[in-house]
Amino acid sequence: MTFKQRFFRVVHLLFIVLILVQLLPDKLPAEVCTPYVVWFASGVEVLAILYCAFAKNKIGTELFSDIVSFVYGLLIAWTLTTAKLNVLKPSLFPPPGRVFRQFIEDHEKIVINILSSVGIILQGYLLALIIAIPLGLFLGWSARLGSAATYISKFLGAIPPIVYIPYGIALLPTFRSVSVFVIFLATFWPVFAGTLSGVMNVEKKTIDSAKVLSVGKFTMLFKIILPASLEQIFIGCNQGLTVSFVLLTSAEMIGAQSGMGYYIKNYSDFGDYTRTLVGLIVLGTVIVVISYIFNRVQKYLLRWKQ
Amino acid sequence: MSKIEINNLTVDYTEKKKRFTALRDVSLSIEDGEFVSVIGSSGCGKSTLLSILEGINTPTEGEILIDGKPVEGAGTDRGVVFQHYSLFPWMTARKNVAFGVEQVNKRASRAQRLEIADEYLDKVGLIEFKDKYPSQLSGGMQQRVAIARALAMDTDILLMDEPFGAIDPKNRSSLQELLLDLWEGDGSTARKTVVFVTHDIDEAILLSDRIVMMTANPGHVYSEIDVPFDRPRDRMSLLQTSRYNKFRNELVSMFYSDVADRIGGEEVVL
Repeated sequence: MTFKQRFFRVVHLLFIVLILVQLLPDKLPAEVCTPYVVWFASGVEVLAILYCAFAKNKIGTELFSDIVSFVYGLLIAWTLTTAKLNVLKPSLFPPPGRVFRQFIEDHEKIVINILSSVGIILQGYLLALIIAIPLGLFLGWSARLGSAATYISKFLGAIPPIVYIPYGIALLPTFRSVSVFVIFLATFWPVFAGTLSGVMNVEKKTIDSAKVLSVGKFTMLFKIILPASLEQIFIGCNQGLTVSFVLLTSAEMIGAQSGMGYYIKNYSDFGDYTRTLVGLIVLGTVIVVISYIFNRVQKYLLRWKQ
Repeated sequence: MSKIEINNLTVDYTEKKKRFTALRDVSLSIEDGEFVSVIGSSGCGKSTLLSILEGINTPTEGEILIDGKPVEGAGTDRGVVFQHYSLFPWMTARKNVAFGVEQVNKRASRAQRLEIADEYLDKVGLIEFKDKYPSQLSGGMQQRVAIARALAMDTDILLMDEPFGAIDPKNRSSLQELLLDLWEGDGSTARKTVVFVTHDIDEAILLSDRIVMMTANPGHVYSEIDVPFDRPRDRMSLLQTSRYNKFRNELVSMFYSDVADRIGGEEVVL
């Protein structure tokens, strides 16, 4: 890439516009916290310049700068409509600087809540994977049990996991255990169904190739059948992860004393929409990061596919 | 005692409620260190015969003895190369070969297995590609890896089911020569017993000691012909001899006379 392609981009122009907008006089009577916006934008801009300087391919650079441009555009519009022109209701729409400041002030509380939510998800999710995948492998490998298990998982998996919550509350002592239980169920069925369909659709030629090497049963299941059905298993894992977040945050909004869902619900009940916005942005970021990690793991494990 | 003894093998299939006979009363004996090609048109049961030798199919009647012992299922005394998909796509070339070695030799350490894998990948000329996945290799290269794995397992018997059938002609020739070189060896080790299924007459003549011709409906052995050319063989010098053409013509006419018999005797003009 040429120097021009790397650094002469709309995204940097938008950064300058964003900074200039911050210099306009404030119309909002309350505190605006402009420096926080400037610090945040400068941090993003440093990242953007570093990325543009070291990026290897053009498509990646374009994608990155488009996303950053969107963020800048949003911040410009947000600053103008709140702090600078005061056209939106200030109690519902705090200026961006206040949200950033609130984030920094609350960061300890936020970290604790994130760890609480992510901990519950990981526990339920990993437990489901550890049980669903080997069980699916064993049952799917036997044609007879596999077909029966497919029908059973279709029936039980069709029940939306959220309806297990009342029953879970009756069965289990704490909010945490109920959440783990529901996330376990929400992940178990799609992963189990994915594993079954993966195993039952492994090509006969692959199985024959392993048979003529006279591999043992354990090797057959975990070194041949498992990788051969991995793509289907991942479809189930992906579905489970998405549903888990929806379930947990909903559950936290109803009955929890911690977690990101609780944080958002609690402060919006008190009319503190600055913190509500902080919660929404943080939750979105956490989910994006987790999906990114998930996709990298998937890509790595399926790297042998073209 | 022959290395492989096939006695009165009959295989019936049931497909869509219709029963048909893939093989009827096939008997064949193959000596230790012999290279035998099984040749015939499609549907003659040559691949069925091989699948029973591989142990992934069972006969309706008859039996196969290897070293005098009846075959029950697959075994690590036989190395197999299929036309497609012998390799596991999630393993690199090196891991594929090492995985085969692991199945026959559980005691070898990981380092030893990888060393053997490298040695055989080198023999088939793919050492530079050892860390590539099958999807990153051409069809011919994949078959080289499959051959490397079968040889690295160091089994007495090698079963090959049209291994070069899907390879373009130029690469097919070089693969045939590679197999010939590796099988003939330098005389320091005993030659392996090979059963090689093909529909290519030239391939069969170049490689084998004996050609078993099969015909369809139901599949049975039509005739067995010894290949009268000395080893080590070389394709170019073989092709130049008049004996080669004469022998090839005999085989072709034998092949077609059978087809003519079956379709309508004298009325068919070929």
